Amino acid sequence: MAEQKVGNPAVVGLAGFGLTTMVLQFHNVGWMGIGPVVWLGLIFGGFAQMVAGLQEMKTGNNFGYCAFTAYGCFWIALALLLIGNHYNLYVSSKSDIGWFLIAWTLFTAILWVGALRISGALALTFTLLLGGFVLLDLAHFGFPELTVVAGYELMLCAAMAWYIMAHLIFADVFGRDVLPVGKPWLRAPAAPVATLKVAGATA
Amino acid sequence: MRARTLMVAAAAALAGAAGFLPGIAAAAEDAASPEEVVAKVGAASRFLNEKGASGIAEFNNASGRWVWKDSYVFIYDCRLDRMVAHPLRPDLVGRPIMQITDNNGRLIFKDLCKAGGDKRGGWVEYLWTRPGAGGVSRKISYALGADIAFSTGLQVAAGVYDDTASAAALAKLTDKMADPAKYPAH
Repeated sequence: MAEQKVGNPAVVGLAGFGLTTMVLQFHNVGWMGIGPVVWLGLIFGGFAQMVAGLQEMKTGNNFGYCAFTAYGCFWIALALLLIGNHYNLYVSSKSDIGWFLIAWTLFTAILWVGALRISGALALTFTLLLGGFVLLDLAHFGFPELTVVAGYELMLCAAMAWYIMAHLIFADVFGRDVLPVGKPWLRAPAAPVATLKVAGATA
Repeated sequence: MRARTLMVAAAAALAGAAGFLPGIAAAAEDAASPEEVVAKVGAASRFLNEKGASGIAEFNNASGRWVWKDSYVFIYDCRLDRMVAHPLRPDLVGRPIMQITDNNGRLIFKDLCKAGGDKRGGWVEYLWTRPGAGGVSRKISYALGADIAFSTGLQVAAGVYDDTASAAALAKLTDKMADPAKYPAH
């Protein structure tokens, strides 16, 4: 019996990450209210991305497992922070949110290093994400006008996430790589290291 | 002062016929002071800082703690161009504010946002309806930023209805209240 083809959970993770990030930025630059951000944050950016993340475990992809599950939880936490602030439940001040964002910035910096070894498109996505978090940190500690700058910057990040999603989906439907993701910014170690390994093995 | 007395008298004569005289008389003798306005606006800003978005609803209550004598605190968002809370004008809540002008063509909220953008807040004079009075009065309002999570352009303001006070004189008062040591009593 032929084995059934298994889908790649990353397409859902990237979809949820990209769409919710996009909608939040529509809010941050002042185009729309916060309502859709809360509900999409809970369901798509949160629940769906987190489930996609958990499904990454079976594919053996630790990067996707950690990133999608964690950013899914980020969205659920963010939506609950907004709901809590609305209903006077554990109200968070502006600096509380600032520290929350700083923790996520540090976490993102770790994944950013990993992304540099995966593909050019992912490296760009995480560079934009890290940059967006840094701008939002600054926006919460004395430079509120940077919220809008972060908004446009993170729209590019969301678009990049969708680009990688499209790369995976189109490669599947068209049977060839329509949207290349590019070589990783950090290449695999070249000859000298391999030589050392061989030398070590023979010694 | 004379203009206001005349106007109040005229309004009272008109309203008296309609049976509203007691309300107007009470408003005229019980006017909020600039010191009260600064204290209320400061308290409102701190209250919002503590309560976040959950504190906003209270400012829409016409009989709540943010309405006193002939004054009241209102909240608006300078970045999203929106009235966030107003105890006496529910029709304005959620509506754009930047295009609102007084009878002299002054863009009221443009000036309020500029004044409130200062760290210590600021005063703006314009024409607005005084609660309980007919027609418009000269109003001078104190605007101050409110630092709350998930929002960058929120300000709170309240005003006095006064024909003589100037924004410059009241700015001195605000400085004095913020830093009493710099202004000895004698």
